Amino acid sequence: MMRNLPAAALLVAALAIPLVFGGNGYIMGLMVSGLIVAGVALAWALLGNLGGMVSFGHAAFFGVGAYTSAILSAKAGLPVPLSLLAGALGAALCSLVMLPALRLSGPYFALAILAYAHIFKILATELSSITGGSAGFQRFPTLPTIAGIDFSSRTGSYALLVVMVALCALVYRAVKRSHVGTALRAMAESEDATRVVGVNATLLKSWMLLLSAFITGLFGAMNAHIINFLEPDYAFSGNWSVLPIIAAIFGGYRTILGPVAGAVLIYLFDQIIAKELLPVGHQILLGLLLAGMILVAPNGLFGLFQTRRKGAPHAAA
Amino acid sequence: MLRLEDVTVRFGGLVALKEVSFAMGEGEILGLVGPNGAGKTTLFNTISGLVRPRTGRILFKDREIGKLPLHARARLGLGRTFQIPQPMHHLTVRENLTVAQVFGAGASDPARIDEILEVMELAEHADRDAATELALQELKRLEVAKALATNPALLLLDEVLAGLESHAKRRFIAKLRELHQRYALAIVIVEHDIETISSLCSRAVVLNFGELIADGTPEEVFRNPAVVESYTGTADA
Amino acid sequence: MFELLQQSLFSGLLVGSVYALVALGIALTFGAMKIINLAHGELVLLAAYMAYVIESRTGWNPYAAIPLAFAVTALVSIAIYLLIERIREHRELNSLILTFAIGVILTNAILLVFASDVRSTNSPLLQDAVSLGSVYAMNSELLAFVVSLLVMAGLWWWLRNSWYGRAVRAVSSNRDASMLMGIDPRRVELAAFIVAGILASVAGVALYTMSVVQPALGPALTVKAFVVTVLAGVGSIPGVFCAALLLGVTEAMTVTLASSALQELVGMVLFLLVLFFMPNGLFGARARRG
Repeated sequence: MMRNLPAAALLVAALAIPLVFGGNGYIMGLMVSGLIVAGVALAWALLGNLGGMVSFGHAAFFGVGAYTSAILSAKAGLPVPLSLLAGALGAALCSLVMLPALRLSGPYFALAILAYAHIFKILATELSSITGGSAGFQRFPTLPTIAGIDFSSRTGSYALLVVMVALCALVYRAVKRSHVGTALRAMAESEDATRVVGVNATLLKSWMLLLSAFITGLFGAMNAHIINFLEPDYAFSGNWSVLPIIAAIFGGYRTILGPVAGAVLIYLFDQIIAKELLPVGHQILLGLLLAGMILVAPNGLFGLFQTRRKGAPHAAA
Repeated sequence: MLRLEDVTVRFGGLVALKEVSFAMGEGEILGLVGPNGAGKTTLFNTISGLVRPRTGRILFKDREIGKLPLHARARLGLGRTFQIPQPMHHLTVRENLTVAQVFGAGASDPARIDEILEVMELAEHADRDAATELALQELKRLEVAKALATNPALLLLDEVLAGLESHAKRRFIAKLRELHQRYALAIVIVEHDIETISSLCSRAVVLNFGELIADGTPEEVFRNPAVVESYTGTADA
Repeated sequence: MFELLQQSLFSGLLVGSVYALVALGIALTFGAMKIINLAHGELVLLAAYMAYVIESRTGWNPYAAIPLAFAVTALVSIAIYLLIERIREHRELNSLILTFAIGVILTNAILLVFASDVRSTNSPLLQDAVSLGSVYAMNSELLAFVVSLLVMAGLWWWLRNSWYGRAVRAVSSNRDASMLMGIDPRRVELAAFIVAGILASVAGVALYTMSVVQPALGPALTVKAFVVTVLAGVGSIPGVFCAALLLGVTEAMTVTLASSALQELVGMVLFLLVLFFMPNGLFGARARRG
């Protein structure tokens, strides 16, 4: 029961927010965006914790998911639920291009992904016949109304995102507890020993990259249909790489729920407090926060509480 | 079962293995002997896939495996231990064996894990953290247990008996015989003790400076003047 | 057409020399500490803005800003080093995130102080074009090329002949052995960061004189430097130099033959090709495999 306490607390908070702030469009809008970041942060942490890889390029998956879904729903007439799925798949497909980078060791992999993210942003700008280029892309469907629930309303979007974040967290947990998760946990510090008993390290890491890209693409796609406007500088913005990293580190990237809670808090902090203090360059505060966390509490706030528990930091749920 | 043809390994300018060739049959227990630095561990690393040979072929079950990655060779039935035990970190003893079984043997069979834990006398340590909560001899038994969990046809044992006092050593030798019987294993064992090799192996090969200098029954091998010289030679150096 | 190609080849070579300076800064700290400084691009940018400050406040030639730029980049570089030093666990990855965070801080600090406007030199002397046979160059480009070559020669000399330089090479090739030889790796690492600061200051000033700068440029510079080091395959100064020239020329050719928007892309494609087909780089022998 104690172990499920953070999850229960988050769920209660998720239910309480629309009851309290349901009428406040501003707050609900912030919560929706915060949950988008939460989904990406979850995906980023999955790759970091299970795959042992730090990515500075999740914006690539986010943008590809957004554009794929928007374009397919607008130009091919795909129903939005399907186009969301297609967006996620598109992002996963993109991550296939990144697989050769898996041959590179830690820091080089991180930089390679950063470089890939640049490529996708340039492509989205240049392929203007498909994406609308830097002029932007609009006139694509909003989230639909299904079974009487209007998902395009603030509260509807919010509910959808809460469910999707929860689903992704459950998938993450299932992977972590599976044999694959166990093998990946071993790989972090004993790669040879793990490979020599038959674990295909590269394949498992590839799966984690694929899954992480899939989830990121899904949230990118949902965000596109919520915002209803896309331009390369927005969809592939470095923000979609930076915010999830800060959220995951802040909340504790070795945990599942830490990045989720961290994302909402960080996003609210950035939008409500930081932007108020510094209308331009407000991310300097986020940078300071990230640097501070790495130096003082690299396992995150949730990690701080959990280091007292028995077992390796990896084992913390 | 296993055949090496003219396997040569270089590290930069250094020749670690020079045109090594030998073959072994099913169910054979082969002793691998030689002074320190002769290339025994390099030979294991080459067979198991940690090191790529510059030239030569490695055949396992009549299949060329010289270019296969580490994990693929494990799945074909090649199990090995490390001289310095390498448990999988952050995993319990049982999880170590489960990962080895699921990925190495391709099936999950908890009953067999229990059996291996029992045989290797690790049952009471099953839920301990492998990397931090085991003594050295338990770690060495875990090395063998992990290799066994992958359901191997051939087991490469790198000095698993080193550091054991004579009683424990006799027990471990008996254990190896039992494993050999029970799981129909072929075994290559690196060992310095002539007595152990003589009692356990039907055949021995000797490496010196990366070259195979003798191949035969333990008796023949240890009487071979070149082998005697290789040992006394390094002892003098 | 031939003249155009000739011209872009020439311009590319000149720009490439500055890329080499940026890449060598990253390579140097990576060699000494096995840590990639993701804020290195921002360091270069910081130097460029110092040139802007000097030029706009005093009207002097931007190159007069090198002492100030060096003081600033060296201080920031030392600060980065001292912060990295404090990381205890998972140093390789945490230092990456830390330097990334420092990059975010620097980018936004520049944004706060200098606003998001694009800046470039207005010195007529530097912007004047000179013809060399059939090709043209701005004075600033020629000057940047010469200065870069001099700095690289200086770096080469330093690594070869000074105690610190030799120590940096020793630590880069074998940290443990160099410790046994009585070299304190921390002093050597610090020296590497300071020298990387020097390289960044010159590169930044040169960049300002021959191109335009804006606060968001930092990560692009870091990526470019990274592409160069991948092309070069982590190794010698000549290797990095050649790879940087190659990148500069390829970019310039792309601008001439296709469009300037694809300039960034072609570097990436080059990078991907090398990654796919020559994982050890064009000029390097050392593997970077994990």
